[in-house]
Amino acid sequence: MQTSILEQDGNMVAILEGRLDAVAAQETEKAMQPLCECEGKDIIIDCTHLEYISSAGLRIFLRILQNAQGKGQQVFIKNINDTVRAVFAMTGFINIFKLI
Amino acid sequence: MKEIIQYIRRKLSVRVSLWVVLFAATIFVLALGFFFYQAREAVRQEAINRATQILNNTSLRAEGILNRVEVASDMTKWLALRHPDQADSMFVYSRSMLQNNPDFYNCSIAFEPDYFKDKGRYFSAYTKHVGDSLRTIQGGSDNYQYFFMDWYLMPLLLDQPCWTEPYMDYDVTTNTSEMVTSYCQALKDHNGKFIGVINTSLSISWLSQTISETKPYPHSYSIMIGRGGTYFVHPDSTKITRQTIFTQSLEHPDTALIALGRAMQRGEEGIKQMNLDGTDCYVFYKPLGKTGCSMAIVCPESDIFGGFDRLRHAVMTIVIIGLLLMLFLFIRIITRELSPLHRLAKEAETIASGQFNAEIPTFERIDEIGQLSQSFAGMQQSLIKYIKELKDTTAQKASIERDLHIASGIQMGMLPENFPTKEDRDDVQLFASLTPAKDVGGDLFDFHFRDDKLFFCIGDVSGKGVPASLFMAVTRAVFRTVSSHESMPDRIMTSINMTMGEMNKTHMFVTLFVGVLDLPTGHLHYCNAGHDAPLLLGTEAHELQCDSNIPVGFMPSWQYSMQETDIPQGTTLFLFTDGLTEAMDINYEQFQMDRVMEVAQQALAQRQLEPKQIISMMTEAVHQFVGDAEQSDDLTMMAIQYNKPQCTFKMQKSITLNNDIQEVPQLTDFVNEVCKSVELDKNTTSQITVAIEEAVVNVMNYAYPAGTQGKVKIEATANDERLKFTISDSGTPFDPTAQAEADITLPANKRSIGGLGIHIVRQTMDTVDYERTGDRNVLTLRKKLNNHS
Repeated sequence: MQTSILEQDGNMVAILEGRLDAVAAQETEKAMQPLCECEGKDIIIDCTHLEYISSAGLRIFLRILQNAQGKGQQVFIKNINDTVRAVFAMTGFINIFKLI
Repeated sequence: MKEIIQYIRRKLSVRVSLWVVLFAATIFVLALGFFFYQAREAVRQEAINRATQILNNTSLRAEGILNRVEVASDMTKWLALRHPDQADSMFVYSRSMLQNNPDFYNCSIAFEPDYFKDKGRYFSAYTKHVGDSLRTIQGGSDNYQYFFMDWYLMPLLLDQPCWTEPYMDYDVTTNTSEMVTSYCQALKDHNGKFIGVINTSLSISWLSQTISETKPYPHSYSIMIGRGGTYFVHPDSTKITRQTIFTQSLEHPDTALIALGRAMQRGEEGIKQMNLDGTDCYVFYKPLGKTGCSMAIVCPESDIFGGFDRLRHAVMTIVIIGLLLMLFLFIRIITRELSPLHRLAKEAETIASGQFNAEIPTFERIDEIGQLSQSFAGMQQSLIKYIKELKDTTAQKASIERDLHIASGIQMGMLPENFPTKEDRDDVQLFASLTPAKDVGGDLFDFHFRDDKLFFCIGDVSGKGVPASLFMAVTRAVFRTVSSHESMPDRIMTSINMTMGEMNKTHMFVTLFVGVLDLPTGHLHYCNAGHDAPLLLGTEAHELQCDSNIPVGFMPSWQYSMQETDIPQGTTLFLFTDGLTEAMDINYEQFQMDRVMEVAQQALAQRQLEPKQIISMMTEAVHQFVGDAEQSDDLTMMAIQYNKPQCTFKMQKSITLNNDIQEVPQLTDFVNEVCKSVELDKNTTSQITVAIEEAVVNVMNYAYPAGTQGKVKIEATANDERLKFTISDSGTPFDPTAQAEADITLPANKRSIGGLGIHIVRQTMDTVDYERTGDRNVLTLRKKLNNHS
């Protein structure tokens, strides 16, 4: 599991690659910390290469979203695959995140 | 007669009047009777007094006349004896006697034959009234030789003056005769030699007239008898001197008359009441001086009491007429007074015939009839009101009955109707019947299939009818709701109990049996909340062992215990409500468990174990037992026959991991391998991978206390039908299915971090079951495989 954070067009962009399972979640949460600390920028999580997600990953997404909403930022999820979309659908996350 | 009595009975006025008049008549009769008796006594006493007085007066007068005769006779005797030798002076004496006493009949002074030498043989100076003058002659002659007469001989023989018996005095010159009685006294010269007789006569008829002159009553009369009983005075002149008082008795013996005659002869004085010549009379009698005669006054009773009787008749007539008038008036008055009643009665009939609006006559009276009329009007108003209410109530009742009928339909519609038969399923057959005692009942049963499990329940709400049916409907609905996500009967029961208990303000309760039959294995989990224990009919018939839990509904905090058993192949579970054991015949004897068991044994012996067969056998047995008695309670039966499906394992794999999240990738590989072996597509594989990871991570995180080492075993099996994962560990009891469901509809800021894992598991897998088996937590997850065939 690889996580990289970068700024692009004034937005914070997180690129996730690999399987975000319970094991990977611990690392990924730390790696995603900058997203929680940024101010005044919208957040884009690029899931183009995210193969798999479990509830541990969903928790990280939810925390980021709640944090961002508290500061008036927006969170976008980009390019999720069918497997991840299925989990999003199952848990209702599909309704609370903006998918692009 | 009968008609009259009928008429009197029909007419109140006549009856009341008759009573009053009868009463009045009785009082009149008593009062008048007493008065008449007393008055009659007074009249009688008065009559006696009066007659006695008159008798005394008459007797005094008669005695006076007789005395006068005697005195006059004595005077004449004295004169005659002064000059006994002067014959002519005798004429003077005789004449003056009658001159002084004009009421005497005659007077003769007769001398012995040849007493006066110059007068020849006969000399009798005889004076008699002829018309208004007196005639004095010499009375003796050859034709009338007076010295042989009684009146001449008697004083001589008796040697004392005496009164003769009446005799006929014959007057030669006028050739008339007259009945007379004479006072005779002898004349004796100074030598004592008898020289003649002075005879003074009284006319009997005159005497009779004189005596009878004073009559106490118009028809009363006097009689006088002499010593021999001969009549001297009698109204019937033919009887005078010719008959005695006893003559009549010779022909018709009359003791009273004889007694009267004797008493009068003896010279007694008194009163006798007797019948004379057919007339009731009072006879007052008294002796008449020295004459030896006795006189009597006969007073007819009709005379004495005539006035009294007339008065009595008049009074009686007035009373009778008065009573009749009174009767007539009473009948008229009472009829008039009661006439409103007649009208009221007619109006009542009209009202009774259903015309409630008939006008009641109003009487301006304040008496009882006025009150009755008012009450009647009030009653009419009430009747109209009550009839209206009755109509409304009847309509309401009809409406309620209609509603009940619909409710019954709804209730029956709530119950499952499609029972799985042999044709539908090869693993289980089920049949049930519910017969409510009323339109709607409090019994319930339900079943449904989920996750390869048969969820079923049977229950009996306390009470019957509408309240029970409402409670039943709620119970069944809650069962459906709870059992659609809960899989363990104790949890289902606890949940139902909590829900029901919180809303149960009427303290109703329901005995409930909830069972969950795992169809692939035949393992039955069940929980019994105070319901009759079901029967298991396999190789033998026996009751299913049940814990004693309280019925559902009144203690929300109660934790129900679960029990489990394996249902062998071909065994039938027979469930029922107490409507079966307590079905009563006409003698109130109950069907009892023994009989249920008997029928069950019979079914077993005949291998009639299919649900429909056993229920129809039981139904027939109960109907036969109950007979014509009314069904007393709702009757519900349910039978489930289990046939274990014959499955072959296609695949079996297992892996054991430490409780370390770092080992999750191994799990991912394992799951992938399993999925691949059963040829699942990529998407499904991914989903199952997520689900298994969630379940295992859950166990790793929560089953063992932090810092302790433990193992998690994951076993995967598959047959043609489904894929099964069994995750077991030896940690502390931990039921992930008991976690609260995550609400996936909440907005982001309200979402919680937890609960998502088990939600994903539930969503992905077909069944999720937790069981604590021994000291292990066992979580079984199943996923049905798409049959490629």
